[in-house]
Amino acid sequence: MSLILNLTAQGLINGAIYALIAIGLAMVFGLLRVLHIAHAGMFALGGYLGLVITNATGSFALGLVGSMIAVAVCGMVMYRLCYEPILDQPPYVPLIASVGMFLAIEEMLRLVFGDHGLSYRVPPLAGAITVAGMRIKFAELAVLVMAIILLSALGLFATRTRIGMAWRATVSEPRMAASCGISLRKVRFLNFAIGSAFAAAAGVMVGVLNNLVEPSMGAVPSYKALAIIVLGGLGSMGGTLIASLLLGLIEAFGATYLANLLDRDSIAFAAMLCVLLVKPEGLFSGPKNQRSLLERLQLKGAAQWALTKRPS
Amino acid sequence: MSKKYIRWVAGLALAVVACHGALAQGTTKIGFHAGLTGPAAADGNAALAAAKLAVEQTNATGGVNGKKLELVVYDDQGKPEQAVPGANRIIGDGVRAVISAGFSSPSRAAAPVFQKAQIPYLAAIAFAPEITRTGNYMFRVTSVGEVQGRAAAKVIGSALHKKRVVLLTIKTDFGKTLAAGFKEAAPKFGLDLVKEYEYAPSDRQFGPLIASIKADNPEVIYATGFYFTAGPLVAQLRSAGVTADIVGAESLSSQQYIDIAGQAAEGTVITNVIDWGSQLPEVVGFLKAYEAATKTKAEAVSASTHAALTMLIAAMRKANSDEPAKIRAALETTEAMTAIGRISFNKLHEVKKSFPTSIVRDGRWQRFGSVDDPVLLAPPEQ
Repeated sequence: MSLILNLTAQGLINGAIYALIAIGLAMVFGLLRVLHIAHAGMFALGGYLGLVITNATGSFALGLVGSMIAVAVCGMVMYRLCYEPILDQPPYVPLIASVGMFLAIEEMLRLVFGDHGLSYRVPPLAGAITVAGMRIKFAELAVLVMAIILLSALGLFATRTRIGMAWRATVSEPRMAASCGISLRKVRFLNFAIGSAFAAAAGVMVGVLNNLVEPSMGAVPSYKALAIIVLGGLGSMGGTLIASLLLGLIEAFGATYLANLLDRDSIAFAAMLCVLLVKPEGLFSGPKNQRSLLERLQLKGAAQWALTKRPS
Repeated sequence: MSKKYIRWVAGLALAVVACHGALAQGTTKIGFHAGLTGPAAADGNAALAAAKLAVEQTNATGGVNGKKLELVVYDDQGKPEQAVPGANRIIGDGVRAVISAGFSSPSRAAAPVFQKAQIPYLAAIAFAPEITRTGNYMFRVTSVGEVQGRAAAKVIGSALHKKRVVLLTIKTDFGKTLAAGFKEAAPKFGLDLVKEYEYAPSDRQFGPLIASIKADNPEVIYATGFYFTAGPLVAQLRSAGVTADIVGAESLSSQQYIDIAGQAAEGTVITNVIDWGSQLPEVVGFLKAYEAATKTKAEAVSASTHAALTMLIAAMRKANSDEPAKIRAALETTEAMTAIGRISFNKLHEVKKSFPTSIVRDGRWQRFGSVDDPVLLAPPEQ
C-alpha cells in the first residue's frame, strides 16, 4: 500500500515537471504550428543559469527568478531571430531551424561550462518531511507547489485579463484577432516569454532535484515533451496538463512493474503510438472529429495535421 | 590530365618529406584516440591529460631508446563512424602503437583497422569483449566487466559482511557485464540477491525505483553507473531514508560523484583502479603529478590511460625497438609497475591486476582495502 502511494507521489512530481516543460511547447504549437524542439534547450539553459546565479549569490530565490527572466528574454530573442524570418516557409523549415538551435544551445553550454556539468555548492531546499509514511523532499514539494502556482496563474491570465483573451483569440482565429486590432507579433513574443520562463523553472527544479546540470539535460525532455503534446491533442493546454500527469504516473508504475518489458523512456512513445493509431487528434482535443476510424488511419492524423495546417 | 599528375607527384613528395622529417627528428609516434567532444568528452579529456603527462614524464628523462615520444591525437567523438577514418589517418601518420581511451563502441570499430595494419592497440577503458578477440595486436589495460563484478561480490561478502543485495544496473554493456560477473560470484560469498533493477543512462530521477527498493529493504545496493547517474541516485536514496550500504564500480571514481551526491556519498565503496592510500612511488607519483598538471583529482580513466602508456613504454624498452611487431611481442611478456599497480597480460591479452577498493570519507575518496585474488579475478582466456 505504501509502495503504491509512494509511486503515485513520485509520478505526480515527475508529471508536474513534464507539465511545466510541455505547456510551453503546446503554447508555441498552438499559436504558430511550429514544433519548437529548441524549447528543451531553454530548459537546459534555465537549469544552468539558476545554478550559476545561486552559486554566485547564495540566494536560490534570486537564481530561480533571475533564470526565469533571463530565459524568457532568450525565448523572445530566439523567436525574433530564428522563427520570425522563416514563418512563411513550409513547416519543416522552422522545425529544422529549431533542431539546429537546440544542438547549438547544448554545445554552447558544453563549451562555456565544461563537459562535466555543474553542481550546487550548497544544495538548496535540502531536507525532507514524512507524510503518510513517505519521505518527500522539500525540493519535490517545491516542484508541485511551483507547478500549481505557475499553471493556475497562467490559467487566470488567459481567462481573466485582456491580454490573455487577446492571446486566446489569436490562437483560435488569428486573422479575426488581427482585424480587431490585436498585434499578432506582441502576442507571439508574450507566448515565447511565458513558455520559456516555465521551461526555465522546470530546468532549475530538475537541477536542484539531481544536484546536477549537464549540457545534455535537454535531450530527454526534447522528445518526451513532444510525445506529451501529441497525447494531449496538439496545442490543447488542458490536454497537455492531463497528459503530463498521466505520463508521470504511467512511468512511475511502469518503471516498477514493467521494467523487464519496456524501458522507462519508451513508455511515452508506446502511449503516443497507441493514441495516434486509435485517436489521432489526441486524447483530449476539443471538438470531436466526425471522420470514421478508417479515414483516420489513412494518415489524416495529428502528424499530418501538424505539418500542414498553420493558421498563422 | 597533366595538372592532376603534378598534384599527385607534389603530394607524394610532400609525404616523403614529412616521413623523412619525422625520422630525422628521432621521435616515436604514439597514436591516441578518445571522445574529446560530445557526450564522451569528460572522460576523453581526462584521459588525454594523463596520456600527455606520461609522454612528458618519459621525454623529460630522455625518451625511449634514445628517441622522444610524440602523441598523435584524434577525436573519435565517442562515435564508431568517426573512429574508423581517424584510425586510418593516424596509421598514415606513421604511429608505432596506439592507445585508446575511447569507449567500447568507437574502440570496437577502430580495433580491426589497427589489427590489419599490424599496429599494437592498447584499450585503456573500453570494456567490449570483442576488442581483444580481434587479433594478436590487441591488448586491454582495464579489467572486463565480469571480473570487476566478481570483485564487487567479494567486497560485499568478505569486507562488508552483508548478505541481502539489490542490484541496480545501468543499461550499458559495462553495467550488464558487471551484473553478470556479480551474479556469477555472489553464491561463493553467500550473497542473497533480493531483486534486480535496470535503469537507462539518461535517467536522473529515480523516485519510483527507490520506492520499490525501500520495500525490498536490502542491506547493500550494488549500484553501477556513472557519476552523473549514481550521484543523483545516491542522493535520492539517502533523502528517501534508504540506509543500505552503496557499492559501485570504478566509473564512480571521479570527484564529481562526491560533489553531486554531497553528504549522501559518505560511505560509498567502489572497486577502483586507483589505490588512494598507496605507498608505491609509481602510484603516488602519478596522483601528485596529475593533480599538479590538471588541478583536478585523478579518476579511473586517467589512471588506466597512464598505465597503458607505462606498459607500452616498458615494452618498447624491453624490445629495444619501436618496430610495431617487436613491441607487440614484448607486450605479451611485459610486467610493469604502473599507476594502477603491477600489471601484465594473459593469453588473450587481457590485463591481470588486483582491485584496490576506495571509500568516500570526509568528502573525498580514501583507501578502503583491496581485492587480490588471482583465481577469482582471472580474466577470460578465449
